[in-house]
Amino acid sequence: MRRAGARAALAGVTTLVLLALGGAVAPWLAPAGPYAADLTGRLGPPSDAHLFGQDTLGRDVLARVLYGARISLGVGAATVVLSLAAGTLLGCVAGYAGGWVDEGLARVIDVLLAFPGLLLAIALAALRGPSLPNVVLALSVLGWTGYARLARAAVMTLRRREFVEAALALGATPVRIVCRHLLPLAAPMLLVQATFGMAGAIVAEGSLSFLGVGAPPPLPSWGAMIDEGRPFLLVAPHLVLFPGLALAVAVLALQLLGDGLRDVLDVRAEASARGVIPP
Amino acid sequence: MPALAVRRLVLLLPTVLGVVTLVFAFLHLLPGDPVEIMLGEWAAPADVAALRRELGLDRPLAAQYVRFLAHAARGDLGHSIAFRAPVARVIAARYPATLELAAAAFALALVFALPLGVLAAVRRGTALDRAARLASLSGACLPSFWLGPLLMLAFSIRLGWLPVAGRGGLAHLVLPAVTLGLGMAGILVRLTRASLLAALGEDYVRTARAKGAPGWRAVGVHALRNALVPVVTVLGLQAGALLAGAIITETVFAWPGLGRLVVQAIQARDYPLVQGCVLAIGVSYVAVNTAADLLARAFDPRLLEDRR
Amino acid sequence: MLGSLADGCGEALPPPGTLVVAFDSDPDSLDPRFQTDANGARLADLLYAGLTRADAAGRRIPELARTWEMADSRSFVFRLRPDFRFPDGTAVTAADVKATYDAVRDPALASPKRAALATLSAIEAPDPTTVVMRLTEPFAPLLDATGLGILPAARAREAGDVTTGAGPFQLVSAERGDRLVLAPNPGYPDGAPRLRAVVVRIVPDELVRVLELRRGGVHLVEDAPEPETVAWLATVPSLLVRRIPGTSFVYLALNLRDPRLADRRVREALTLALDREGLVRFVLGGAARPATGLLAPEHWAYASTRQPRHDPRRARRLLDLAGYRALRPDTPRFRLVYKTSAQPVRRRLAEAVQAELGAVGIAVDVRVYEWGTLYADVRSGNFELASLAWVGVTDPDLYYLAFHSTMMPPAGYNRGAYVSRVTDRLTKAGRQTFEPARRRAIYARVQRRLAHDLPVVPLWWEDRVVVQPRRLHGFEPSPSGDLRGLASAWLD
Repeated sequence: MRRAGARAALAGVTTLVLLALGGAVAPWLAPAGPYAADLTGRLGPPSDAHLFGQDTLGRDVLARVLYGARISLGVGAATVVLSLAAGTLLGCVAGYAGGWVDEGLARVIDVLLAFPGLLLAIALAALRGPSLPNVVLALSVLGWTGYARLARAAVMTLRRREFVEAALALGATPVRIVCRHLLPLAAPMLLVQATFGMAGAIVAEGSLSFLGVGAPPPLPSWGAMIDEGRPFLLVAPHLVLFPGLALAVAVLALQLLGDGLRDVLDVRAEASARGVIPP
Repeated sequence: MPALAVRRLVLLLPTVLGVVTLVFAFLHLLPGDPVEIMLGEWAAPADVAALRRELGLDRPLAAQYVRFLAHAARGDLGHSIAFRAPVARVIAARYPATLELAAAAFALALVFALPLGVLAAVRRGTALDRAARLASLSGACLPSFWLGPLLMLAFSIRLGWLPVAGRGGLAHLVLPAVTLGLGMAGILVRLTRASLLAALGEDYVRTARAKGAPGWRAVGVHALRNALVPVVTVLGLQAGALLAGAIITETVFAWPGLGRLVVQAIQARDYPLVQGCVLAIGVSYVAVNTAADLLARAFDPRLLEDRR
Repeated sequence: MLGSLADGCGEALPPPGTLVVAFDSDPDSLDPRFQTDANGARLADLLYAGLTRADAAGRRIPELARTWEMADSRSFVFRLRPDFRFPDGTAVTAADVKATYDAVRDPALASPKRAALATLSAIEAPDPTTVVMRLTEPFAPLLDATGLGILPAARAREAGDVTTGAGPFQLVSAERGDRLVLAPNPGYPDGAPRLRAVVVRIVPDELVRVLELRRGGVHLVEDAPEPETVAWLATVPSLLVRRIPGTSFVYLALNLRDPRLADRRVREALTLALDREGLVRFVLGGAARPATGLLAPEHWAYASTRQPRHDPRRARRLLDLAGYRALRPDTPRFRLVYKTSAQPVRRRLAEAVQAELGAVGIAVDVRVYEWGTLYADVRSGNFELASLAWVGVTDPDLYYLAFHSTMMPPAGYNRGAYVSRVTDRLTKAGRQTFEPARRRAIYARVQRRLAHDLPVVPLWWEDRVVVQPRRLHGFEPSPSGDLRGLASAWLD
C-alpha cells in the first residue's frame, strides 16, 4: 500500500517539477515571449511556428502556457505558504490555549467559511488596484481555515500526551513544546492539506478570472487564458484546450502527490474521523 | 443531545452576525456609490442627495449598521436599491432556484459517490478501486466555467439530448447539477473510501471477519455507519463550497438563482440586497453545517463529547 | 392562453410563432420612469409608446403625438392620435401623458429621468388630444425627452414598477433575471404584431448565447458575439447574420487634469499613434467604422471632419516637440495608466492600444476593473486613459453635457475636465436654437473644434451585428440596437 502511495506521490512530484521547469526555461523554449502581439495571426491554429497556436491577439499560446506555469504555480504556492503560516499559527494558539480563545477562533472560521469570497476579491481589487498580489491575498484570507483546523486538532489531542507533561515538568515553554514536539507531528497532515490547498488555489484563481477579478491582463495565468479563450471555444478550441490541460495536469499532479503522501506518511483516516481533513 | 443542539443553534447567532458585519464593512469600503449608479449621470446633485437621505445612506456608518440589524431582527431586510422592491421579496424569488440546483447537485453526488466509495473500499487495490480514485480526481481538475461549456457542447449540441442553459424542467437541471456536483462527488468518493477502510481496519471488525461469525455482515454495516460520521461532517463543509460554486455555475448556465443575484448586486453596489443575500447564504450555510454536525453525533454517540 | 405561454418555458424548444430573444443582462428596470440602461430601453421601445420616437438619423418622428409645434419660444403643443390603446382597451389621452410626466418630475419618486425634464416648468392637458409643455427657457433638447413611455394616469404615481403601456407589445410575465414574456397588444393602432409571443431570456455568458443559437433555444441575438463566432454562426443553415452600420461611439477618454494630457500635442500624438483601421480589423474583425467624433454619419447633425491618420513618426515628433523625449531608445518617454472594463473586446482593445502606444515610446499600464469600480473612478477623475462608449446618441446636446466646462461630474459627463470657451459658447447656443438648419451649423462647428482639440481620442462606430433565424421576416435591425422592428415581423 505504501509503495502504491509512493508511486503516486512520485508521479505527482515529477509532473509538478516538469511543469515548474517548463516555466523556468520558458524564455528558451519560447523565445517570442508571451506578450508579443501579432494581430495578423489572430486565432491561428497550431502550426510549425506556433506549436499551440495563437490567441486573440496573435500571441504564442505555447509561450503563454509556459509562462503561465510561473504565474499559476506561483499563485498557488504563494497562497499556500501564506495560508499555511497564518492558519498554523492561529490553530496552534487556539489548540494550545483552549477555552474562549479556541471558541473565538472557531467562530471566526465559521464566519469566514460563510463569507462570499467573490465580495472579498472584488473589494480587494477595487481598493488596491487589480493585481496578482491581491489575488493571492484574497485566496489566502479565504484559505487559511483548513490549516487552522488541522493544527488546532493536532495540538489539542497531542497536548494531553505524557511527553508533553514531561517536557512541561522539565521547564519547557509552551512555544518550544509546540514548535519542537507538536508541530512536527502535525506536519504530515498539514503538508497533505497544503497540496490540496495549492490545487484549490490554482482553480480558484481561474474562477476569479471568470468573474473579472483575477490576474490582470496581459498576465498569462492559466485561468485567465481559459477565460479569455472561452468565447472562441467553437472556432478556436486550442485557446482553451492547452491552458485547460495544463491546469488539469497541475491539479491532478498535486492531488496525486497529496494522496500519495498521505499513504506514505500514514496519515490515516484517524484524522479524517475527526472531520479534520477532507481527503 | 438536546442541550448540545440548543447550544449549537445559539452559536449560530454570533456567526451570522459576524458575516453580516464583515459584509457591511466591505461594501462600504468599495468605491462606487449606489445612488449614483442607480440614478446614472443624468441626475442633478440635488436629486442624488435627496435619494441618499431617503435611503438613509447619509447617516454615519454605525447608525446605518444598527438600523440594518434592528430591521433584520424584525424580518425586514430593507429595500433593494436596484430592484425597487423589498429585499426579502427579491431573495425569496431567487432562492428556490439555487436551492433546487444545490439539492440536485448534492443528490447526484451522493447517489453516485457514496456507492462508488464503498465499492472502492471493499474492492481495494483492484482496477475498480484505481479507476474510482482517478475519476474522483477529475472533479477538481475541471473547474465549472470550463466543464460547463464542454458538457453543453457534448450533450446539447453534438448529441442534442439536453437543453443548453436556463431553468425549466428536469432536463434543464441535469447539466448544471452535474457541473456543480462533480467536485463534491470526487471528494465524497475518496472520503468514503478512506473512512470505510479505516473503520474496516478496526480490531473488532477484523476479529469478526476472522472468526467468520454469522454476524460479521452486521459488523460490516456497523463499520459503515461509523465510516459515515466524517462523511457527514465534511458534507456540511462542502455545502459552503456548493453555495460558492453556485455563483459560477449559475452564471454559466443562466440559472436565475441567488449566486448570480449576489454578483449583480455587488456590481450595482446595491448594499441592502448584498447584505440580504449574504445573510441568506450565511444562514443557510451555518444551518446546513449545524444539521450535519448534529447528524454526525446521532450516528456516533462517541462524538457527543464535543471533541471537534 | 397567455398563461400557458408563461409556463411553456419548461420545454426545450418554444411553441411556433414565438420568438426567443437573448439579452446579455437583466434590464435595470421595466418601468419607463426608471429605466436607464440599454436593455431597459430596448424593452421600453416594445412595451410603451411615447409622444415621439427617434428615427435612424436621430430625428424625432411622431408616435403618440400626431404633430407638434412651437406655440412660442417657450412652449410646445402636441396633438395626439386618438387611436392608441392600453392593453385593456382604454384609450391613451392627454391626461395619461400629463400624469406620467408629472410623476417623473416629482422628486419623491426619485426618477433618473427627472434631470432631463429640468426645463419643463409645467405640462397641461387642455383636452384629451392636446398636450402643452411650458419651458423655463428655450431648450431644444427637450424633444429628446419626449420619448418617455406613457403610463395610465391612474397608475403613474405608483412607487413600485408599473408595466402597463401602449406599445406594440404587452408584458405577460416577468421573472427578473430569467425571462420576460411579451404578447402582442391587440389595440396597437398600426396593426398588432404578427408574432404570437416574444420571450426575452437573460443569458449573461456569450458562449452560452451562441450555443443556444446553435441549438435553437434562442432565436435572435442583438449583442454581437466575437467576429470569428459570427462567421461560424453564419454557417448554420437556420440562422442569418445581418450587419448594418451602427452608431455606438467607442473612444478613449483622456483626463486633461494630467499635465501631459493637457498638452494638445500629446493628445494629437496619441491619436496619430493608433491605427484605427488595424484596430477595427483585429479587435472587432472589421465590424466597425473608424470614427471621427461622437456623431455617426447617419445622424442629421453629422459634419464630416478629417479622419485622423495613422502616423507614428509624426506622433513621435510631436512628443519630442512637447518636451517628452525618450532618454534612451528602450526607455519610455512616460507611463500612462489605462483603465478598462473586463469585457473581452475592451480588453483586446487595451492590449492593442498598449502595443501601439508602446511603439511611439509611451508605456501603458493596463488595469482591468469591474464596471462599478471603473465607472466610479472615471467619474471621480481617478484615471488617465479609459475606454468608454456612447450608445444610442440621439440629440446632439450630448456635446454640451460631455464637453461644457460646467459639466464636470457630478453635474455632467465632462469627465476629462476639458475647458474651451469656444466649445462652451457653441454648445450653449446649440441647446437654445430650435431651427434645424441653424442648429446643424452650430454643431458642425462644434465637431470641427473637437476634431482639432481632441479632448477624447475617437476610435470607431461599432456596427450592429444581429443574428436572426432565417424564418423571421419583416425585421429590420436598427443602428441604435432597438427591437422595434419586431412589431412588423413574422415567423414562417
